[in-house]
Amino acid sequence: MKRPKSLVSLFFLLPALILMVPFVIYPVFKTIYLSFFFGDEFVGLENYKNVLLSSDIVNLERFPTNSPPWGALVHNVVWIVIHLPVTVFLGLGIALLLRKKEVKGSSIVKSIVFLGMVIPMIVGGLIIRFLFEEGAGVVPAIFKALGIERLAITWTAYPQTALFAAILGSIWIWTGFSMLMYSAGLASIPRDYYEAALIDGASRFQIFKNVTWPLLKPITIVIVAMTLLWDLKIFDIVYVATGGGPGGASMVLALQMWDYFARALNYNYAAVVAVLLTTLTIIPALWLIRRRE
Amino acid sequence: MSVKKIWFSFLLIGLLAVAVVASGCIGGETTTTTTTTTQIQEQITLKVIGPWSGAEFDAFREVIKAFEAEHPNIKIEYKTYRAEDLSTILPLQFESGDTPADIIFMWGWFIADMAKKGHVMELNEVINPDEYVPGILDTTTVDGKIYGAPFTAAAKPGFWYRKSFFEKHGLKPPETWDEFVALLEQIKQIPGIKAPIVSGDSVGWPISDVTEHFILTFGGAELQQKLINGEVKWQDPQVRSIFEERLVPLLNAGYFSDPIEWTSAVDLWWKGDYALYFMGTWLTGMVEDPTDLGLISLPGVKAMVLAPDYFMVPKYTTHPTEALELAKFLATEGQRIHVGTSSGKLATWKEVTIDDYWEPMKDVAKIVTNVESAPDLDDSVGGEWQKTFWDQLKLLWVQPDRLDDVLKTLDEKFPKE
Repeated sequence: MKRPKSLVSLFFLLPALILMVPFVIYPVFKTIYLSFFFGDEFVGLENYKNVLLSSDIVNLERFPTNSPPWGALVHNVVWIVIHLPVTVFLGLGIALLLRKKEVKGSSIVKSIVFLGMVIPMIVGGLIIRFLFEEGAGVVPAIFKALGIERLAITWTAYPQTALFAAILGSIWIWTGFSMLMYSAGLASIPRDYYEAALIDGASRFQIFKNVTWPLLKPITIVIVAMTLLWDLKIFDIVYVATGGGPGGASMVLALQMWDYFARALNYNYAAVVAVLLTTLTIIPALWLIRRRE
Repeated sequence: MSVKKIWFSFLLIGLLAVAVVASGCIGGETTTTTTTTTQIQEQITLKVIGPWSGAEFDAFREVIKAFEAEHPNIKIEYKTYRAEDLSTILPLQFESGDTPADIIFMWGWFIADMAKKGHVMELNEVINPDEYVPGILDTTTVDGKIYGAPFTAAAKPGFWYRKSFFEKHGLKPPETWDEFVALLEQIKQIPGIKAPIVSGDSVGWPISDVTEHFILTFGGAELQQKLINGEVKWQDPQVRSIFEERLVPLLNAGYFSDPIEWTSAVDLWWKGDYALYFMGTWLTGMVEDPTDLGLISLPGVKAMVLAPDYFMVPKYTTHPTEALELAKFLATEGQRIHVGTSSGKLATWKEVTIDDYWEPMKDVAKIVTNVESAPDLDDSVGGEWQKTFWDQLKLLWVQPDRLDDVLKTLDEKFPKE
């Protein structure tokens, strides 16, 4: 007698499910539950209203003409707008440049680029902090050498530059992932395709547009989704590099959640931000799943 | 039964009787021995959590050693945790009826908060308020009951300078505000000086210490206390004028550096990139030659922040008697030992005399005892506002023209209770 297939699947899933209930599912529902309370009192959507209307989350009075703070949610969006395309295309560019085995030292360059990915994020945050510090960091030193005094400052100390210092630092850290994924993707494209295109008289750009880029599409989807998730949940490097300041100029959602939780000891507001953050992260995750299907 | 067997039985019974009697006698001795052994084995380990590591812990270790020498049955196990980290760990542990240590050093406001929730032991039997610096126990007293004891304190007395640097450049400590501003201008003209004052930074507290020194100088301890209590707003004309007329002009004139990580700032200041550094008294233990240190308080200073390290005994300690014994020691004789080391700290227990101090701290101790002490503003308010205060001041430091925004935000974010 054959056992129903679903029962067998369930049997193998059971250990994972048993662990997920107390460690994942219960905390998720408890967080949602907490977000509707203030202390022990049920307040409905009041917490959501207070948090979402707070200038901590969205501060459009200053956006975009004045320098940050623009609110944590806006900062996350700015992060995505800058960080996502730059890391994707920078990673692709480096992977394309270094794909040929005959490029001497390509593995060393790849290792250096990938270094950002393997260091602990706290260390990454510290490096970012010092990279942009006047008198110690290379970035202000470069601008000083170029005679651009306005940018030869401690970037993390100024509201005009703190957010961008964190984003640029994050590009350095995350480009390794993009480069590595594209390198793997490029290696998997059969050489015959290129040879055929060359015989047909295609230019380099045409080959890239019609052969390489379409074949890298599945990889690109993964990179975009993962980068989106990274941009939304960014916490540690901001916490160390700028602490979200000055004046909240580099605050992001995850750090705001931490502030509500650990500083204000306001678990209900922290739960609201957690729910918001989870909802926002689910969108790229679902998109990734659908595209992969 | 044969006669031999009968005699043999008697012999065995006799031997048994002798053995029983003998064992009884020996048993008496054994009981005594067991008691003695038990007393020796009643070793208790008390866990202490504090913020110190490195040289700061070396100074605290002397206190631990002294307590252990007085209490051979108690061993102290010390762990370093920052208050920022503890603030996330403790509420959850306490709620579950557990504690990571028997004595925990923590912010005063946090101890009071936990006490209100019933997680902390009362210390009224251990602490005699009359023996302490006035007002020092206010932060940790709830409904007349003391829940947090003060250990030694750091003072934030003013701007430190190197005597050798001042001698080399013919500089003199100022007597008036105008002289202070003139001194800054004079320093600014020295070749190689990046700015007269180096601004320490980390999460932001060094800048808040500078600001509080201005408030205490031009507003006094009363204004500081009113700000802590929320009785005076940050946008109040009196507070605004301190910023507008005293602090902001100095920032605009470029007398302060951009915020620099505070330990790096020590090195830069010591090697002469900057001339003055506003820092707490612990700085004396961080420099190569503490005898080269000079101190400039703002002329006319009325009060100084005295920021004690408070500690509590959580209710969930497994050794309440011994924990209270240690609490008493730390709050009293432990302070005498601590100020005798290079901790750079000051006693909050009035029984400690100037003679008890480490030599480089004696002059500082004299200065501090001659002015009124005030509580640390941001440590007293605590919570999210504390972080906002640090962050907004960092903003002000680089954009002094944002004063209105800064003061407005400080009012908006102030706890509403």
